Amino acid sequence: MAYSEKVIDHYSEPRNVGSFDKSAANVGTGLVGAPECGDVMKLQIQVDPETKEIVDAKFKTFGCGSAIASSSLATEWVKGKSIDEAMSIQNTEIVEELSLPPVKIHCSVLAEDAIKAAIADYKSRNED
Amino acid sequence: MAFEQPACRVCEFTLVSRLFCFSCNALQPFPLEVDFFEVLGFPISFEIKSAELEERYQQLSLELHPDFYGSAPEAEKRLSETATAVLNTAYNTLREPTSRAGYLLHLLAQKQKLDERSLPDGFLGEMFFLQEALDELLESGNADELSGMRDEMRKRQKDIEADYAPLFKRLKDHPEDSEILQQLQTHLNAERYLRRLLGRIPA
Repeated sequence: MAYSEKVIDHYSEPRNVGSFDKSAANVGTGLVGAPECGDVMKLQIQVDPETKEIVDAKFKTFGCGSAIASSSLATEWVKGKSIDEAMSIQNTEIVEELSLPPVKIHCSVLAEDAIKAAIADYKSRNED
Repeated sequence: MAFEQPACRVCEFTLVSRLFCFSCNALQPFPLEVDFFEVLGFPISFEIKSAELEERYQQLSLELHPDFYGSAPEAEKRLSETATAVLNTAYNTLREPTSRAGYLLHLLAQKQKLDERSLPDGFLGEMFFLQEALDELLESGNADELSGMRDEMRKRQKDIEADYAPLFKRLKDHPEDSEILQQLQTHLNAERYLRRLLGRIPA
């Protein structure tokens, strides 16, 4: 199976690899996994407490090229969005952007789940 | 689950495998949804002796081999090809404990809705931690620590495999007990992550 150019681009030069201190109040951490293949993905967001805008995002993924590309793209997309806007990112948008084949759709689902898990974690620790 | 023994379409002898009659050597047309236990002629159960499975597979693959049907009518020829393909898939699925457990769970849980992502508490976090630790080990190239990690992960894989038989046994006494089914699913999920981790450790 051939990877699309965009997948190769994100895979060979992943954006925003790394991590934040997960105990910081303005950080939300999402840790998700895909039992189909054993991939593990961690995605973190850093939120401006005043504006609720996602100012930065980091990820680390142990998985195939498509899983790495999906999470790399997800960190790019959430940056600058409000947490509500980020919540509405759909895996199908990732599939389209990266031209993922059907067997790799679960990688995009994983990235969507990771965003939602990170936001849920942020919210749970910042309930007003 | 009842195990119905179908009869040969030619001599009516009770079939061992759904694919072939060992009594009159006739190929048997089989339904598309034939299960892999029927293909190899074992009752639907986790416990299969690997020597018996091996022997049955060798026997059938010889009998069904398309080379022997070169001058047979077109329909027989095609049947020997599809039967051989199904036989190989069935054998590859049943010979290894985890894939056999996964297949059997799929057969037994058909009506039940299982959580397909379930994992033991804290397992995902631990896997992430181990994957990061493995990154460092791979970078440092510490062969002793790498092989230590490989042994540890293999042991955990073996521990999971050792649980399949007793769990399926309990399931026989309590068919459709969703808790046992879910426990099996959790084991299979966890095994997948261990396998993935092991795949990154050079032999």
